[in-house]
Amino acid sequence: MSRRKHMLEHLDEDIRDHIEIETLDNIDRGMSPQEARYAALRKFGNVTHIKEQTREVWSIVWLEQLLQDIRFGIRMLWRTPGITIAAVLAIALGIGVNVGVFSVLNGAALRLLPIPRAEQVVNVSQIFHGRTSRNTHGETSMFSYPEYLDYRDHNHVFSGLIAYEPFIDATLAGGKAQQLLGTAATCNYFDVLDEHPAQGRGFADSDCSVSGENAVVVISDELWRGRFAGDPLLIGKTIVLNRTAYTVVGIARPGFTGTEPIPSAFWAPVTMQKALEPGLDRLPDDNLSWLAFLGRTRQGVTMPQVRADLGVIAARIDQHHPGRITSLAIGTATFFSRPDEREVLVPVASVILGAFALVLLIACANVANLLLARASARQKEIALRLSIGASRWRLIRQLMTESLLLSIAGGVLGSAIAFWSFVKITEFVTSHLPHSVPTFTVNVAPNLQVLAYALGLTLLTGIAFGLIPAWRGSRLDLNTALKGDGQHSGPGKTGGRFLLNALVGCQVAVCMVLLLAAGLLLRGLYYAQTVNPGFEDKNVAQAFLNLRSQGYDQSRATVFMQSLRQRIEGLPGVIEVAQAECAPLSHDFSADHFTVPGRTDKIAIEYNHVSPEYFSVVGIPIVRGRGFEAGETHESQGVIVTESTAQSLYPGEDPLGKPLREDTGREYSVIGVVKDAQVSHLGDLNTMYLYFPAGPQDNTRSYLLVRHAAGFTGTAKGIRDVAHSLDADVSFDVTRLEDNLEVWRAPSRIVAVLATALGALALLLASIGLYGMVSYSVSRCVREIGIRMALGANGKDVMNLVLWQAMRPVLIGGIVGIILCAGVSHVLSSMLFGLSAHDPIAFICVPLFLLVVALIASYIPARRATLVDPIIALRCE
Amino acid sequence: MSTRDQDERIELLQGTLDLLILRTLLLGPMHGHAIAKAIEFRSDEVLQVEQGSLYPALHRLIKRRWISAEEGTSENNRRAKFYGLTAKGRKQLTLQTSKWEKLAGAIAQILKPAEQEGKS
Repeated sequence: MSRRKHMLEHLDEDIRDHIEIETLDNIDRGMSPQEARYAALRKFGNVTHIKEQTREVWSIVWLEQLLQDIRFGIRMLWRTPGITIAAVLAIALGIGVNVGVFSVLNGAALRLLPIPRAEQVVNVSQIFHGRTSRNTHGETSMFSYPEYLDYRDHNHVFSGLIAYEPFIDATLAGGKAQQLLGTAATCNYFDVLDEHPAQGRGFADSDCSVSGENAVVVISDELWRGRFAGDPLLIGKTIVLNRTAYTVVGIARPGFTGTEPIPSAFWAPVTMQKALEPGLDRLPDDNLSWLAFLGRTRQGVTMPQVRADLGVIAARIDQHHPGRITSLAIGTATFFSRPDEREVLVPVASVILGAFALVLLIACANVANLLLARASARQKEIALRLSIGASRWRLIRQLMTESLLLSIAGGVLGSAIAFWSFVKITEFVTSHLPHSVPTFTVNVAPNLQVLAYALGLTLLTGIAFGLIPAWRGSRLDLNTALKGDGQHSGPGKTGGRFLLNALVGCQVAVCMVLLLAAGLLLRGLYYAQTVNPGFEDKNVAQAFLNLRSQGYDQSRATVFMQSLRQRIEGLPGVIEVAQAECAPLSHDFSADHFTVPGRTDKIAIEYNHVSPEYFSVVGIPIVRGRGFEAGETHESQGVIVTESTAQSLYPGEDPLGKPLREDTGREYSVIGVVKDAQVSHLGDLNTMYLYFPAGPQDNTRSYLLVRHAAGFTGTAKGIRDVAHSLDADVSFDVTRLEDNLEVWRAPSRIVAVLATALGALALLLASIGLYGMVSYSVSRCVREIGIRMALGANGKDVMNLVLWQAMRPVLIGGIVGIILCAGVSHVLSSMLFGLSAHDPIAFICVPLFLLVVALIASYIPARRATLVDPIIALRCE
Repeated sequence: MSTRDQDERIELLQGTLDLLILRTLLLGPMHGHAIAKAIEFRSDEVLQVEQGSLYPALHRLIKRRWISAEEGTSENNRRAKFYGLTAKGRKQLTLQTSKWEKLAGAIAQILKPAEQEGKS
C-alpha cells in the first residue's frame, strides 16, 4: 500500500517534468515555445485519462467488485424478505445450537486452565503397557510420590513441576459439620501455578519438609466467604479437617478453584496426606497412582523437548519394574486432560456434536431448497446477465456472495443468541444436577476458539448451501430461459426437480434418525420409570457414612457403628437396619475375578459385603439355602449367589455347597441363592452378582439401610439425631433409597429432553422444507395442472398426483433414515435400561408420526393445486 | 460485451509496450522521457507510442516488481525518477521475448502461404 501511495504521490510531478523536457527538446529543434508546448502535449496524449489509467493500475479491482456484489446481494435479499428471513432464521438456529454446544465443550475441555500464563503449563500422564500390576487411587494415569521426586529432580525442561491429589473427602468440624472436597498438593503448588493467595501466603518449602508435621491449609475464597462469613482475622486461626487441626495460612484469589473442573475448597501440603486420609499412607508407595502432574515449562522449551526429556526419566523408572513399559501423554494443560478422562469425553462429545451437526445439515438443505427455488424464479435475470456477456464465474461469485451474506447474517444472529443463552443454560443445568453429582465449573463464555469455530461454521455453511444453487443457477439454456416459459421445458427442469427431491429426502432421513433416537430414549426412560428393579425401594432410608474421611480408624469406627445401629433400631417406626458396602443402585461398585475350580476361565463378577438383615430390608427373597448369620465376617467361607450367577457358574447343577475361588486363591462355598435384582446397574437384570458377609473392615465406609414404617422425614431426623448424640462432628446425608433410581434416570432424562428438542427442531425445519418444496412445485406446475383439469381430471386426481410427487422423496428419505438409525442406535444402549436398541414400538410409531407430519406439511400447499381454475392457469402464462 | 473486447485489445497493446520498456531498460536505468525517446529512436520512429501511455505501463511493471524506481538527477541537473530493471524483470524479459518470437514466428508461418496463394 505504501508503494502505491509513494508512486502516485509524484505522478503529477513526473508527468509535468516529462512534458517540460519534451517541450525543451522541441524548442531545441527550432519550434516557438508555444508551438513546442502544444506538440509535447499532443504527443503525450490525454493527461487526465493517463492519470486515471495509472491510478487504476494500483486500484484493487476484486475489492471493488466484491463491494458491488455485496451491495447488489443485499438489494436482492431485501426484495424477497420472506425467503430471506426464513433462511436467516434457519441458519441462525442451526449455527446457534452448534456454537452453543461447542462453547460448552470448549469450556469443559479445550480452554486453558484459569491461571496466569497458562499456555506454559503442561499436563503429564502415564500409560502403562506390558505386564504390570499397579495400585490405583484415582486414575491409573497418575503418579506415585517417589516417581514425583524423580521427575521433579531430574527433568531439565520445567521451571517447576507440581503434583497433587485431587478430590479428597474431608469433614470440616465445628458448628454444623460440613463435607468438603479438597486437594493435597506439593508445596511449590501456588508458586509454580503463579497463583498467589489473595490474603496470607501459599505454601513454603518448609511446610513439606517433615511428613505429617506441618498442618497448614489454604482455603478457597468461596469457603472463606461462605462458612467463615469473610472473617478478616481468619489467617492464623485453626480449622479442623478430618479431626486434625490446621492453621489457615492463606485464602485463594476469588475465581481460583484449583486445576480440576470440580472446585477445591482447600489445599493442604501433600505431606499431610496420612492425616487427611487416616489409615492410608500413600507417600512411600512407589507403585501407586494417586498424584496428578502439572509442569510449567522453561522459556523457549518446546513440546518435543519436554517429551524427550521426561521420556528418559520414565524409561529409567521402568528398569525397576521388569516387564513394565511406560509411555507419557503430555499436552498443554486443560480440564479433563488425563487420558482416562479423555476416553470418556471424546466419544460423548462426538455423539453430541454429531447430532447437532445433523440439525445444521437440515437447516442447510432447507436454505439450499429455498435458494434453488429462488434461483429458478430468477432465471430470467440470470439469463439476461449471461447473454450480455457476464462470465459464469462472475455469476457464481455473485450468487455465492448472496448465500454468504445469508449465512453471515444467520451466523451472527445464531452465535449471539448462543453466547447469551448457553451461559444461562449451563448455569441452569449445573445447578439442577442430581444431588449426588458434585458441582463443577464450566466457563462457557466465548473465547477466540469459539469465535473461530463460529466463523468457520458460518462460512462453511454459506458455501455448503450456496454452491449447488449457484452452480445450477448459472448453467442455463439461454434460449428457453429468455423465451419466458423455460421452466416447462429443457433438461433443467428434471434436474432441478431431482435436486429438490434429494434435498428433501436428506432432510427427512436426518430428521428420522434424530426422532428415532429421541423415541428410543423416551421409551427407555418410560421403561426405567416403570421397571421393577427386583428389590423393595420404598420405605427404606439410606445413610452413607464415610468414617475414614472423618478421622476414624477401624476400631473406633466399629464401636461407633455398633452403637449407632442399636440406637437406630430403637427409634420408633424403625423395622429393621442393615449394613452394606454398596447400597442398591448407589453407583458404588466392587468387582473381582473369580474361577470355578475345575474350569479355567476367569470371570469378573461384582459383589457386595452385606449384613444378615440386608436381604429382608431391601426385600430380596432367598430362594435356596440360607442367608448370612450374625457373626459371619470376611473370614467366613460362605457366599450367596444370585439365580443367574448360579445358572451360569453351575449350569444344571445344584449350586449349594459348590466352590468358588477368588483371584487371590481363597476358596468359598455357596450357602444360598437369592432372586436376581437390579442392585448394581438399572436395567441390567441378568448380570452375575455375589454377596459376602460384612465384617469390621466395612465399618469405616458403609451404607446403613433402614426400613421404616413411619414417615421418611421423621426417620431421617431420628437417624441424624442419634448419630450426633454419639459424635457431634460426624457428617452424612440421609436419603430415600428410591432416590438412587432417580440418579440413574437423570442422564437419560437429560439426553432424552435434548434429543426430543433436537428432533422437534429437525422436524420443524424439515416440515418447512417440505412445505416450501410442495408449494413451489405446485406454483411451477399450475399450467400442467390447468391442462389436466381442462382435460377432465378432477380435484382428487390432481391432489393425488401432487401428494405422490411430494411423498416419494419423503418415503425414500424415511427408509434411509430408519436404516441409518438401526445401524447406529446401539450407541444409546447404555441409556435404554435393557430396552432393545431396535425396540419395535419406537421403530413403528416414530416413522408413522413423521409420515403424518409430512402428509400435513404437503397437504396444505397441495390443496391449492385443486383450486386452480384451468382457464386462468392457461391464460396467465 | 463490447468493453471486454476493448479490454483485450488494450491488454495486447500494453503487453507489447511492457516488453519494449523492459528491453530498453536493459541498457541501464533511465527516466520516463528518455525511455519514450529510446523506444521511438530504436524503432526508427515507426512505432508512434503515445508518450502518456508509458506511465500506466511503468506503474504496472513496478507493481509486479519487474522494475524499480529511484530518485536521481537528470542530465540537466533536475530531480527525476530513474527506472531500472530488477532481477525478476530481467528473467521476465527473456521469457517474454522468447514468447513473443514464437508468436511472431507462428503468425508469419500462417501468413506466408496465404501470400503465396494470393500470388499464384
